[in-house]
Amino acid sequence: MPGRQQAASETMEQERKGEVSIGMYTYNHNSDSGFDVHEIYVKRSRFWVLLSYIGMVFLLASVCQLYLSKEGLSTGSVWSIAFGILVAKCLQYKPVKKESVVIMPTFGVQLEIHFWSGRVHRRFVPIGKILKPLLNECVTPVTCYWSLALLLRDEEELRLVFQKSHPPVKMLVPVWKALCKFLNSGCQTSSAVSEPNRSET
Amino acid sequence: MENVTGEGISDQIERFQTQLQMDGRGRKHRILMVSDFFFPNFGGVESHIYYLSQCLLKLGHKVIVMTHAYGNRSGVRYVTGGLKVYYVPWKPFLMQNTLPTLFLTFPIVRTILIREKISVVHGHQAFSTLCHEALMHARTMGYKVVFTDHSLYGFADAGSIHMNKVLQFTLADIDQAICVSHTSKENTVLRSGISPEKVFMVPNAVDTAMFTPSPDRLSCDEIVIVVISRLVYRKGADLLVEVIPEVCRLFPKVRFIVGGDGPKRVRIEEMREKFSLQDRVEMLGAVPHAQVRSVLISGHIFLNSSLTEAFCIAILEAASCGLLTVSTRVGGVPEVLPDDMVVLAEPAPEDMVRAVRKAIDMLPGIDPQVMHLRMKKLYSWDDVAKRTEIVYDRAMQSPQTDLLERLPRYLRCGAWAGKLFCLVMIINYLLWCLLEYLQPTEGIEEVPDIRPVHARLESVDDTCETQGKGI
Repeated sequence: MPGRQQAASETMEQERKGEVSIGMYTYNHNSDSGFDVHEIYVKRSRFWVLLSYIGMVFLLASVCQLYLSKEGLSTGSVWSIAFGILVAKCLQYKPVKKESVVIMPTFGVQLEIHFWSGRVHRRFVPIGKILKPLLNECVTPVTCYWSLALLLRDEEELRLVFQKSHPPVKMLVPVWKALCKFLNSGCQTSSAVSEPNRSET
Repeated sequence: MENVTGEGISDQIERFQTQLQMDGRGRKHRILMVSDFFFPNFGGVESHIYYLSQCLLKLGHKVIVMTHAYGNRSGVRYVTGGLKVYYVPWKPFLMQNTLPTLFLTFPIVRTILIREKISVVHGHQAFSTLCHEALMHARTMGYKVVFTDHSLYGFADAGSIHMNKVLQFTLADIDQAICVSHTSKENTVLRSGISPEKVFMVPNAVDTAMFTPSPDRLSCDEIVIVVISRLVYRKGADLLVEVIPEVCRLFPKVRFIVGGDGPKRVRIEEMREKFSLQDRVEMLGAVPHAQVRSVLISGHIFLNSSLTEAFCIAILEAASCGLLTVSTRVGGVPEVLPDDMVVLAEPAPEDMVRAVRKAIDMLPGIDPQVMHLRMKKLYSWDDVAKRTEIVYDRAMQSPQTDLLERLPRYLRCGAWAGKLFCLVMIINYLLWCLLEYLQPTEGIEEVPDIRPVHARLESVDDTCETQGKGI
C-alpha cells in the first residue's frame, strides 16, 4: 500500500512539473525566464550500448590480430574487419540526449538537438516565417508515426520540429498547442487532428 | 432478367438486416480496403473501391484505403467525405503492382491494422500483390478478411496457372469472397477451389449523377458510334479494326469516335489510312475520366468489343448517358443490362456488324432520358454498399481459428504447393511473433477517429455514427 501511494505521489509530482514519460521518451515543460521550453528526453538503451561496445571491441581485436600476425592480409581478416565495422555502425546507439523547442515571444522558435557528446545543434525560425504548425502522420515503407512540423513561408518542404526522434503524439500535442497559441493561428485546441493536414506528401 | 432488375433484392437486404439486428450483430465495422489499384490511377477497380468506401462511410462505418505510392503522392491523404488513404512508399514495378516480397509488407500492414483499430480487411483484385500480402498478414493476426475478384482469368496459359495458384493460396483461408457477376463467381470458384457458399455476387454500379444524358436529343441524320476503351488485345481492338471499315461501307451515315490509348492504337490508325476513313473515324487518344461523359453524349451507340469482361462498368456509364449499347457476348456482360438496352453479338466481325445494323434499326425507339432513369433504379452504389455490409456481417460471424486449425486448409492446395503455402504461413506467424516482441501492440498509437465530412454537414439526427474527435 505505501508503495502504491509513493508511486501516485511521484506521478502527481511529475505532472505538476509538466513531466510525462512514455517508453523511451520523457517530455518536460517549463516556462522559466520568460521562454516557453518543451523538452523531449531520449533514454539510452543499455542493451544497444553494450552491443555497440562489443562491436567496437571485435573491430579492434580484428585489427590487432591483423597487425600482430606475421601472415599477409588474408580474405578472412578483411571480412572480419568489414563485419566489425558493420556491427559497430549498425549497433551505434543514437547519440541524441534530448530535443527541445524554445518558444521566444515576439522573436520566434528555436529548435535544439542536444547530443550525448555535449554538442548542441540549434536552428532559429523567426516568427514571421512560420505560417502554421502541423501534426502529420508520416508513413515509411515499414511503419507510421506522428510528427510535428512547421509550415514555413517561401519554403517547399516542411520543417520538422523533432528531427532525430519520433515521440508519441501525446507528447506532441502540448507542443503543437503551445505553438498555435504562440502564433495565434486559431488552431482548434480540442483535438490534435480535428483538422487533418490534407496536403501532406 | 430477374437478376438484372434486382427485384426482391431490397426485401432480402431488409430481412437479413433485421435478422442481424435481432441477433445483435448489425454492428459498425472498421474496414481496411487494400489494393494496388486506386486513384490517381483510373479504372473499374479504382472506381469500385472509391464509391463503395464513400457509401460505407455514409452508412456509419469507418473506411481506410491502403495502396502504394503514386509518384510523389505518398503518406496519408484525405479525399472526399473524409476517406483516409495510406499511400505506402513502395514503388510499383510492373503494371502498377508492387514487387511481391511476401513478408516485407508485414510491419506496415500490422501497424495500420492496429493504429486504425481495423475489424475487417477487404482486398480487391486478384492481380494485386499488395492485396494478397495484406490478406495473408491479416489472417496471421486473426483478422476477418474479405476478397473481391474483379476480373475473369483463363486456365491454360502459364500466367493464368500461376495466378490461379496464388488465388488458391489467398482464398484457402478466407472468411468471405465477392464477385461482380455470376460468371465471375463461377470463374473464381473453378480457379481457386473455394466453397461456392462463401462467395457472394455483388455487382458494380454507376454514378448516375455524373453520367447524365444530353438535354437536347441528338439528330439521327448522322449516327455517331462511340468507342471508349484501352486499345489493347483484351479489349478487342483487333476486332474493331475489322468491324469499323465494314460498318462504314454499309452505312454511309455512320461516323465513329474512338477514345482511348494503348499498343493497338497504331493498328486502328493504319486501318483508317488504308480505307481513307479520316473524316469518318475520329481518334481522340486518352480521355480523362472527367471528360468521358462529354464524349459519350456526342454519340447514339456505344460499341464494346471486349474479348473478356467480368462486368464492364463502361457499358453502364454509356447506358446512363442514354446510349444504346452494342457489345460482345462475353463473361458477365449479358448479366449487366436488360435486353432492350443492349444488343449482344459473338466476338466475330460479321456478328458485330449484324448487331450494329440491329442497333441502328432500334435507335428511333430509344429515349435517353427514360434509359437514364431506368439505370438510376437498376444500379446504385448505396445498394452495393448495403449488400457488401451483409458480407462483412457474415464474415464477422465466422469462428476464430488458430494457426494449427488453418494449416490443413493450405495443405489441400496441392502436393507441393500445399507444403510450400504451409511453410510460408509458419514463417509469417514467426515473423508476427518477432514483430510483437520488437514493437508490442501497446506501443503502437491508435489514431483518433475523425468525424466524416458528410456527418458534419448533415443534420444532427443523421444516420451516420458521430465519431469522437479527441485524442
